[in-house]
Amino acid sequence: MTTKKAMLIDIKRCVGCLSCETACKQLHGFSTDPEPTLSDTAFTVVETRGDKFVRKICMHCEDPACASACPVGAISKSALGPVLYNADKCIGCRYCMLACPYSVPRYQWTKLAPFVKKCDMCSDRIKAGGQPACTEACPVQASVFGNRDELIAEAWRRIREDSSYVPHIYGVEEAGGASVFFVSDVPFEKLGFKAAPTGTQPVPTLTASALGDSPKVVIMGGTILSALYWITQRRREVALADAEEKAAITRMKDERSQP
Amino acid sequence: MIARIKSEITLWRAIVAIIFVTGMYATYIRFFEGFRASTNLSDQMPWGLWVGLSTLCGIGLSAAGFGISAAVYLLGMERYRPILRASILISFLGYMTVCVGYLYEIGLPWRFWHPIVMWNHRSVLFDVCICIMTYTTVLTFEFAPAVIEKLPWKRFRETVLHFHHKILIGVVMAGVLLSSMHQSYLGGLYLIARGKVHPLWYSQYMHAMFYLSAIPAGLALTVMAIYLSMRSLNVRVDFSILSDCGRMIQLLLIVFAFFKVLDLTANQAWSYAFQRTSEAGYFWLEMLLFLAIPICLLSFESVRSNPERLYWSSAVVVAGFLVNRLNVSINSLQSAMGTHYVPKWTEMASSVLIIAAGVIAFRYAVIYLDILPKLPKKPEGFTRWMSNGGLAAQA
Repeated sequence: MTTKKAMLIDIKRCVGCLSCETACKQLHGFSTDPEPTLSDTAFTVVETRGDKFVRKICMHCEDPACASACPVGAISKSALGPVLYNADKCIGCRYCMLACPYSVPRYQWTKLAPFVKKCDMCSDRIKAGGQPACTEACPVQASVFGNRDELIAEAWRRIREDSSYVPHIYGVEEAGGASVFFVSDVPFEKLGFKAAPTGTQPVPTLTASALGDSPKVVIMGGTILSALYWITQRRREVALADAEEKAAITRMKDERSQP
Repeated sequence: MIARIKSEITLWRAIVAIIFVTGMYATYIRFFEGFRASTNLSDQMPWGLWVGLSTLCGIGLSAAGFGISAAVYLLGMERYRPILRASILISFLGYMTVCVGYLYEIGLPWRFWHPIVMWNHRSVLFDVCICIMTYTTVLTFEFAPAVIEKLPWKRFRETVLHFHHKILIGVVMAGVLLSSMHQSYLGGLYLIARGKVHPLWYSQYMHAMFYLSAIPAGLALTVMAIYLSMRSLNVRVDFSILSDCGRMIQLLLIVFAFFKVLDLTANQAWSYAFQRTSEAGYFWLEMLLFLAIPICLLSFESVRSNPERLYWSSAVVVAGFLVNRLNVSINSLQSAMGTHYVPKWTEMASSVLIIAAGVIAFRYAVIYLDILPKLPKKPEGFTRWMSNGGLAAQA
């Protein structure tokens, strides 16, 4: 039984040193110049909101909208927690980018063979028992990595022990839950966090009902169409029989009238 | 007179030439320089004109094929048989343009076949892909007799057409079901983007709204194409059939308007329609072009029974439909995504190229195959070159 991993980001503790951003870029071999928003060469960025610093990163949802949207199943939720992208399957339709409620996935617009780019929570490192480059680089434990259950307990401990924290962990319940949590001493909506479009329901539930209707449509539609066709055929046969009968009657009358 | 006709010929040929040259150049940029050079797409606007116009409008405007074939084959409305082949041809060519457009849209076009073998049944887009592929096959099958009957081999012809006739009804039924599913799933694609799609368009019944709006638009395009064929090619159709189509379009538009009003009310979205936002402007433009104007115009007997007036009313329906689909796919997303997207010329040029190729294919199919009832040959051989064969349908 693998334990689900997660990441906790403490906005109160973050000092905006950008160590996480730089560590991520170094790990992937990108230029370490800071970027204003997520891009295909910045899987996490630290945004300034007033006097606070807010990390942007893939939320690694429990039931990811991107994974449900992908027509070829190139995105999947792994047992350890990270939401992983399989570049070998991707056709580049970019529906994941439209589906993601947090607008995280990025595209390599300049490449001739472009792929989707996003954080994979350093899946290879955590599989080997390590932790992501960003949490390892954080000098003040504003970003910490650990088992999902323990991190939720740790977040609640921080909230309990320091009354300046908002009593809410963003990411535990949003859109069916995620593997990246935020705690903050400033209300989340003031920091640009949006309420999840589905509340605590996973985003894929939005399409589930429409898709769930399709077997019904096929069975009911097929029955109705067959019935209509049968009626049409029957009417045609009746009309034909009527016409033949009439023709026969006229023929008989004609024969009688000329003895 | 002849001089005037000659000048017309050169104008349309020049336009077609320009469309092909710019379109081919845009295609080169798309496939050899990539998305950044050929589109204004961005991480905030991952889907643009190609999805909005080539796919959503292309499929929607091809809806007449399944509508008319259901009416003729399943409901026994023999009255519409003369325009059956034309509507199937339009659908077939429409789906062909969508299939070509798909190669422009996806980032890795050489992997176009992946959805066939890599399934994700939770994905609306997967269902759309599979339905469109299957239905394109169905349309090819429905249209095939028009080509096969022209083949010189008698035995082959008879065997194939006999077999074709035997399974036709089943195929038509499958076509109706497949169409119903993917016409609505195209709207269903946006269900998952709640919070991104503007409330004037987002609803949990978006898929139903797409289905309801596609059929009148597809019929309107068929009316336009047949009118243009009659004006410029050697074919004649009993005009009262098109008049009846006009009545049908109006009825379907009223049904759509009814559900749109119901939907907006249920979602409490009316207040957004009266804000001073660009979305509200686009919303009213759509309501005006797609619903208000055509419903009014088509209620007049004098409009329905006059070919030219019916043609222009249908053109307004098609224009309104384009506004609707582009509203959903582009305008409704911009404010939530904090971006302003205007398609690059290359996106437009390549889309126009694909549409123009479809229109030209339609023209030659009508000339060389038995698509619409032909008139006896006229002495003036040049009449068929007089017009553009439906190029105006692009507008």
